[in-house]
Amino acid sequence: MGSWAASPRLRIVRARRRGPTRRVGAAYAMLAPALLTAGAFLYLPMLLSAYWSFTDYNGIAAPHWVGLGNYRELLASADFRHALRNTVEFTVLSMTIGPGLGLASALLLNQRIRFRGFFRTAYFLPVITSLVVVATTWKIMLNDRGIVNDVLRFVGLPGHAWLADPSTALPSMVAASVWQGFGFETVVFLAALQSIPSELYDAASVDGAGAWARFRYVTLPGLRPTVLFVFVIGIIGAFQVFDQAFVMTQGGPLDSTKTIVYYLVDRFQALELGKASAVAYLLLVILAAVSLLQFRLFSRRGDRTR
Amino acid sequence: MRMPRRLLFPSAIALAVALAAVVGCGGSGGDKPTTALSHDARGSLTVWDYYGSATPIKPAIAAFHKAYPNVHVNYQAYDYDTIAQKFPVAVSSGSPPDVATIDMTLLPTYAANGTLSDLSALSGGKVNGEPIGRVYPRSALDAMTFDGHYVSMLYDFDAYALYYRADLLARKHLPVPHSWSQLRSVARQLAEPPDRSRFQVLPDTFHFAQMLFQQSGRILTPDDRKAAFDDEAGVSALGMMKGFLDDHSGVYWGADQGDSSGIEGVKDGRIAMFENGPYVMGILKQSAPEQRGKWRVAPAPVGRQPGSYLGGTGLVIPANANHKEAAWAFTQFLLRPDQQIGVYKYAGAAPATAAALASPELTKPDPYFGGQAPFTVFRQAMNTATHFPYVKQWPDVDGAITDAVTAALLGKASPQKALSQAADKVDGILGG
Repeated sequence: MGSWAASPRLRIVRARRRGPTRRVGAAYAMLAPALLTAGAFLYLPMLLSAYWSFTDYNGIAAPHWVGLGNYRELLASADFRHALRNTVEFTVLSMTIGPGLGLASALLLNQRIRFRGFFRTAYFLPVITSLVVVATTWKIMLNDRGIVNDVLRFVGLPGHAWLADPSTALPSMVAASVWQGFGFETVVFLAALQSIPSELYDAASVDGAGAWARFRYVTLPGLRPTVLFVFVIGIIGAFQVFDQAFVMTQGGPLDSTKTIVYYLVDRFQALELGKASAVAYLLLVILAAVSLLQFRLFSRRGDRTR
Repeated sequence: MRMPRRLLFPSAIALAVALAAVVGCGGSGGDKPTTALSHDARGSLTVWDYYGSATPIKPAIAAFHKAYPNVHVNYQAYDYDTIAQKFPVAVSSGSPPDVATIDMTLLPTYAANGTLSDLSALSGGKVNGEPIGRVYPRSALDAMTFDGHYVSMLYDFDAYALYYRADLLARKHLPVPHSWSQLRSVARQLAEPPDRSRFQVLPDTFHFAQMLFQQSGRILTPDDRKAAFDDEAGVSALGMMKGFLDDHSGVYWGADQGDSSGIEGVKDGRIAMFENGPYVMGILKQSAPEQRGKWRVAPAPVGRQPGSYLGGTGLVIPANANHKEAAWAFTQFLLRPDQQIGVYKYAGAAPATAAALASPELTKPDPYFGGQAPFTVFRQAMNTATHFPYVKQWPDVDGAITDAVTAALLGKASPQKALSQAADKVDGILGG
């Protein structure tokens, strides 16, 4: 044993063996607070919420197991389907216009223009403004006697009850959301545009590519990961729209702006916590499916372009 | 793009739900009469108040503290919507206030789910030594009762009367309307130049119910199992509301216009008449002082019979409140006549107890209303007022009626069709 213990080689081996163990232990110790906090305040509630989605529960009496009853009721509910349709409409509209505007403004700001910093800041300012403030401002602007109708009347057009008309309330909400959010897309796209090597554009020009061809074959492929990021995050956010509807229309008129999360809050306020949890999990499933679809779609396109 | 921070929202909901299980909550059963709180009692209680800056509750705390110097009141002010959202979360998560102000329309949902203390048991049937039956008018007692016991003490009441611009009526030599036909006629003439001032039409259940009750109609059948608002009385009530819009004598006041008091329209002259509760008196005085002397209040013009919706603010003690004895002592304190007058003095609203309503403070002439004593009008309205049905599905029933009223007023459906569709929906809600 003595000779073994004295062996320098063995000491190194032992030290190497103890080293990673110590390091792993230290890592777990440092991770523990975050893991415990996330476990107690995120994952445990999520698990309990999943359980309650299978129960009839009002938060006071003991939950009563109903199996898939809440999910069946929700999928059969015209109100839930209406809220889902509104949410999809909102998402499609805002995720078509928002990233489009963001990309367009990023392309403009990527040119050598004067006051580029000013414009970048101006576009980004609404992003850091509270959504409630933005929604309230738009509500005032779209009021019967708001500035939008004042301008229309000034140029000889009739005003419109934008938020009181079920056919224009949701698009009005989209307008407020896009205005508030497209500065974020602008900044993200601008950063991505500036990371595309200029040599690629030079090479494309040498090959005789025009502006459109350069955009189609150099810019867009270069932006692919950014586009994926923008759409995944944007769609997740859009599906959870609540603040704008709460402030601007309170879900009306005629439920034309009632979204899934608004519906969830309604169930919660009616103390139908089981059903509210089921709505949250249906939303989770929808978002997971949509995100997966986007990843698949973008990776296939990526494969094709390689 | 919508910010990812909203990802936090479902987690917050999940957290609230989860905490409910972790903490566990008691039911409403088991409330026993409290003994009178002694002057030397020690402890603290948490009070939630939605009155805002003009609250009568905050000034009452100082007086309460004199009576109970060792009881600390943890006063928390929230707005109306916040309390509506926070209350179920707080109760279900086991961290409720001890006393809260609650809109009476939310009472059935909270009571049906067992979130409220049984005040009949807790009070021993008396408020400040007087039988509860003698403290309130009959209609208020009905509104405070759920499933045979009191679950709330009415703090201020809401019953509708007609507010009108007396100066505009006088200029056009128009009478104060007493019937629906007179109301329509006066509204049409007020809408003519040069005033172009109109009657406010609100697309909500409150104002539809106001008209419905005046037509001897009901919202639900007496057993609360089916809709009853789609009968001839309901169609007539909704037709009356739509009539104002059809002949342009009414101004449609949706959620986009501002709050239901219509104060923006009052200030810019669009609104010359509206039906609403006594709380609007305080809003008028505070927000439209320049119109002092121009407004009056009259009993709401009658269809077939006098009638009004009855609501207001209730004081409730959550079933799982931690300090029920102190909570009941504080509730009683707020219902003392001198404190009830504060509801009028500070908030401009109508105190609910009979003693306060009869006090000289409330029956004296009010210069804002041209020397009229408007409270007498609301007190009269309270006597024939009816609270909304006490079913736990009330928020959904309310939503269905509001949608029907909105659809009819916007011309998306006839009153008959809108109400029939809503009735089918309500039958499903109540049967489900």
